[in-house]
Amino acid sequence: MISGLEAVLVAFLIITAVATALLRDVVAVIVVFAAYSLGMAMFYAFLLAPDVAMTEAAIGAGVTTLLLLLTVARTVRPAQGELFERVNVPALLIVGGFVAVVGSTVVSLPGVGDPDAIVWSNPEVTQYYLEQAYADTGVENVVTAVLAGYRGFDTFGEAVVVFAAGVAVLVVFGTEVFTHE
Amino acid sequence: MSNSQSPDDGVDQPRQSVYVESEIIMTTVRVVAPFAFTYGLFLTFHGGGSPGGGFQGGTIIGSTILMIAFGFGIEPTRDWIENRSVALLASGGVLAFATLGLLPIVLGGRFLQHDLFKTELGIPHGTKYALEAVEILGVAPIVAGVVVGLFFAIAAGMLGETAPVSQGGEAE
Repeated sequence: MISGLEAVLVAFLIITAVATALLRDVVAVIVVFAAYSLGMAMFYAFLLAPDVAMTEAAIGAGVTTLLLLLTVARTVRPAQGELFERVNVPALLIVGGFVAVVGSTVVSLPGVGDPDAIVWSNPEVTQYYLEQAYADTGVENVVTAVLAGYRGFDTFGEAVVVFAAGVAVLVVFGTEVFTHE
Repeated sequence: MSNSQSPDDGVDQPRQSVYVESEIIMTTVRVVAPFAFTYGLFLTFHGGGSPGGGFQGGTIIGSTILMIAFGFGIEPTRDWIENRSVALLASGGVLAFATLGLLPIVLGGRFLQHDLFKTELGIPHGTKYALEAVEILGVAPIVAGVVVGLFFAIAAGMLGETAPVSQGGEAE
């Protein structure tokens, strides 16, 4: 079911995720977190979601890492102590319980590519898009057809939200970008 | 990078070595950047026929600028790009998207009713071209502009505060 490469990737993801939580040095955390994002991007590619994989590689591993590094560059680096944070036992119990609750739903998820999954075998929505997208829009990529065509209004809203968030950050930063010459 | 602000042992002081001129990073960026930029354009323009689209392409185009800034220094890159063009990119994307949405209303249809480009204006494959125009002229510039703008904004906050120190460091 799970190939060797996938197993290695899952192990890599778990190790980097735990290291992100436990490492003490902030720069080390950022680097490990970037590695986690890159592993996640590869995992999305394995799950046949190349669009998500590209976004994760560019934003998660690239842009976020750079922004975090820039932010950390403004802070003070604490004196080097031990390599790992001390584990907070109550927090560990709460997080562990949460993971157990969420993880218990995984068994009832449909398998990857399961033709009987409700999302897939849905004549009104999914199958309609798959059958009609090319005739309706003339675009071969159904994802693009849904995003920019059928759900164009949502995409317009999302694009404006991205723009508004960028403007909001610039306002918070005191419009330094625009006064800087 | 010498740091004149604090004579400590280099542990408890702010990291002000913003830019280090590294031959390895500069060479790598010089080789990789054109390919990454072309790949971003490819994803944007081929969003209709292959995985990708305006969002993915826009982020990759934006991160190419970030890569160049990291390799060649943020200040020179910002002087080269100019803040005005970053703002124009992002707001122009919103305007283009809104125009593509409002044009069908002028033609007597509804917001973003792209098939009117084919039926009313007689453009062959009008729906497809309108879809791709949304991705190419709308989504990609917004995302690229916002990514670059965020990066410059955060870098500007930092350089504004420690400008004398970092400039002294770069002059060495």
